[in-house]
Amino acid sequence: MAQETTLASVHLEDADATPPSAQKQGFLPIETNWFDRLFIAVVIWVALSLFWFRFVEPMGLSIWISNVIALVLAVWIIRKG
Amino acid sequence: MQSNRLGWILLAPTLVILFAFGVLPFVYVLWVSFHQWNPFAVDPTMVFNGADNFRKIVFDADFLNSVGVTVMFVFFAVISELIVGYFLAQAFMREFPGKAFFRTIHTLPLIMAPIIVGSVWKLMMTPSIGIIPHYMQQWFGISVNIGTSPFAAFTTIIIMDIWHWTPLVTLTLIAALVSLPADPFEQAQIDGANKRQIFWHITLPMIAPAVVATVFIRLMDALRTVDEVWMLTGGGPGSATRFVGVHIFKEVFPKTNYGYGSTISVVVLYLTIVVCWLLYVTMLAPRNTKKG
Repeated sequence: MAQETTLASVHLEDADATPPSAQKQGFLPIETNWFDRLFIAVVIWVALSLFWFRFVEPMGLSIWISNVIALVLAVWIIRKG
Repeated sequence: MQSNRLGWILLAPTLVILFAFGVLPFVYVLWVSFHQWNPFAVDPTMVFNGADNFRKIVFDADFLNSVGVTVMFVFFAVISELIVGYFLAQAFMREFPGKAFFRTIHTLPLIMAPIIVGSVWKLMMTPSIGIIPHYMQQWFGISVNIGTSPFAAFTTIIIMDIWHWTPLVTLTLIAALVSLPADPFEQAQIDGANKRQIFWHITLPMIAPAVVATVFIRLMDALRTVDEVWMLTGGGPGSATRFVGVHIFKEVFPKTNYGYGSTISVVVLYLTIVVCWLLYVTMLAPRNTKKG
């Protein structure tokens, strides 16, 4: 009986989950698809930009440097994350 | 192929409405957030000013203070609602005389408009005529005045929010608790597990998706609270209850500063999404378990 329950729940979980081919195991601590990684990259880009405006730009460093860093990070996260 | 086409046709009205009332306004607000725009000024032209509004926002002490106040409010209100809601849900799972009546009475605050809730609480909290300051003074000798005491104003808003929204949490948790299978609980009792162990190891993991969904809903609602607070304290005394929603309202309507108001809205939306996403990741997302 217990085995039947387990198999049934596994079957249900598989039906609801994203296809395994779309999921990826990279350096991020959660399983992600490409859209998750794009989302994480955008979140980091916005956070970095706001941080830059507040603490780094007053010292004379342009926001474009932050954008380049964020772009490199985005490519890295999307490809390897 | 035929069913696929039919599916898209049936989905089309929803997609059109979502696009028209969800996506387009968001894109428009995002667009406005990069402009200086006062449509009621002598020159109502929208002037593109790059990221200047975002440069301004990170140094805006009023905005940063409002974020801090809002985070504190959300933390205390949502946690309290979750705890009180869970205990009420557990109580409503048992049989007792008048259960249906109490369940109905308990959900009544939900059907009240927030502006009405604010008005009623303002009446109850006004020092000269309100019932709460009167009895607080008579019974405990405590003088409560939300017009002069920041602590009293802030606490009252949290209590008002708990009173208004706990029924929603209770109803969601009742639905989750009712759907739980009896077997694991019986097995745990046979194995000698106590109530605390059953709660932490069986009940909580099984109702976690419902809890997270409820927290999402309450979190998003609490972050954009305006009307109740506006009615009760107007954001005061000082800036003690000036939540981000109230801050945006004051920036956009009295000052008619639509560009900067949009910027604040976009940043608040960003913060909301990040908080909800972190919550989802920590509680529900599948772990990346590396093999080998």
